[in-house]
Amino acid sequence: MTSSSPLIEARGLSKRYGSFVALDRADFVVQPGRIVGLIGPNGAGKTTALRAVLGLTTYEGELNVLGREPFAERALLMQEASFIADVAVLPEWLRVQQAIDFVAGVHPRFRRERAAALLAKTDIGARRRIGQLSKGMKTMVHLALTMAIDARLLVLDEPTLGLDIIARRGFYDALVNDYMDETRTIVITTHQVEEVENLLTDVLFIDKGRIVLDCSVEDIGARYATVEVADDRVAAAREQRPFYERRALGKTLLYFEGADRDKLKGLGEVGVPSVADLFVAKVSAERAA
Amino acid sequence: MNKFIWLVRREFWENKAIWVMPACIGGLMVVGSLFGKVEIAMLHASDQQTEVAGVLFLLAIGGVFWVAMSIYSVWYLLDCLYADRKDRSVLFFKSLPLTDSETVFSKLFVALIALPLVYFAAADISALLMTFVISVRARLGFGIILWRPELWLQEQVLWLYVIATGILWYLPVVGWLLLVSAWAKRAVILQAILPPLAIMLAERLFLGTHAAALLFRDRLLGGGYVALHHPINWSLQKGEMTPGVWRLPDPVGFLSSADVWIGVALGAACIAGAVQLRKRRTDA
Repeated sequence: MTSSSPLIEARGLSKRYGSFVALDRADFVVQPGRIVGLIGPNGAGKTTALRAVLGLTTYEGELNVLGREPFAERALLMQEASFIADVAVLPEWLRVQQAIDFVAGVHPRFRRERAAALLAKTDIGARRRIGQLSKGMKTMVHLALTMAIDARLLVLDEPTLGLDIIARRGFYDALVNDYMDETRTIVITTHQVEEVENLLTDVLFIDKGRIVLDCSVEDIGARYATVEVADDRVAAAREQRPFYERRALGKTLLYFEGADRDKLKGLGEVGVPSVADLFVAKVSAERAA
Repeated sequence: MNKFIWLVRREFWENKAIWVMPACIGGLMVVGSLFGKVEIAMLHASDQQTEVAGVLFLLAIGGVFWVAMSIYSVWYLLDCLYADRKDRSVLFFKSLPLTDSETVFSKLFVALIALPLVYFAAADISALLMTFVISVRARLGFGIILWRPELWLQEQVLWLYVIATGILWYLPVVGWLLLVSAWAKRAVILQAILPPLAIMLAERLFLGTHAAALLFRDRLLGGGYVALHHPINWSLQKGEMTPGVWRLPDPVGFLSSADVWIGVALGAACIAGAVQLRKRRTDA
């Protein structure tokens, strides 16, 4: 995983808007073939980080995406990377057929028949104007267009916003089954961490413009543990230096990083935190520190 | 090149008014010629009089289209780098391998070349249809004279000359409108008008002069004085009956005018600025 050269490499990535610091010397690396979840609360800098990666904004620090400098070479980068931004952004006046024709005309890696096949699964007519479609349908058209591009990097910023649960499931299934293969890399942000938890291979936690955690999902089990401790043993458990704790159902849940599992076993029931739980724990601990 | 054609096609998809508006104006004119009153007096006019009337008729049609095109072009230029930021579709277009200069130049191409040619064609077709209608309705005379090929040829040459010189002359105005369109987060029209207005007012208040106002006026209305030999009516008043459209264009005078090239330089700077803003702004 560390042998091949990274697809995205950011060092000291910073961005300020006036006095507001959106990104504060963030370092992160995305390896090829991974599905990375960029997870953070509102205003944490997720969208700014993605904008920088996609060449949509200037930045300070070093950033290399697919061997290119994104802001200076956005058009070249977009031959091999594609993205869907946080809202349905296809222009209202465009017809579905025109959208396909246009992307086919300007994008050398667009596969028209693939877009047509994806759209055939929906009941969206090619003559329809984007403005006449429901929000879910717009997103489906945008996804079909994007998934028909043979991109090495796909960036999704809240891709399923406004979709109902069936459409969301359908989307993620299509992404994993029809789109993802070892040549592709996906970076995804979403508020619904639980929904993507099972498909992520890596997580990047971001808060207040800084990367709080950069870890593969398989390493979470090795690095982190939770222990559910009864009240009389909390003091003993705290000696093992948990980084975060919270009360739940009359017991205390303590979060440990890099702790010896054998020692923890004597304190209570040991578990592995979910991505969502770990995120809350890491961000809360970071803020309290 | 292929990409560029798609970008221009996209402009026509989005801005149907590019061809709908001239088509409507032409349609109204033809309907007007079908039901309007035909001046029978013209039937008895001399050849020279009808020729003058014919030329003026063609120029009047051209003038109407020219005014309509000017108004629409201003609107188009102010909207073209603003609308997609407002509805956020700029993010879709930026997800495609298109450089920001390609995008800006496609809009510039539409405003400076495609739009004038569409209006040129519409004016021609309208004039042809009207002439045909009038000649049928009046049987003889006025209509017949309009079929004279050299008058048509003159009109075509004049149009193309006016389009070509207009591109250079209006480049600073076009560049300014593009710059505002790429810059503004709201109220594009106000933001286009207020800075020149502020300059004129400030000059008036602090210096008591009005050089800026004259400069703006000359740029907006004075293109004809630089591009053409002096006005048509003069020769008419002197009793020279044939205005001689051939003699109007003054390309040497136009191309050797410093005003033209200063304007071109300013326009180019504004366009370069618009490209830079386009690279940086993704929202309105």
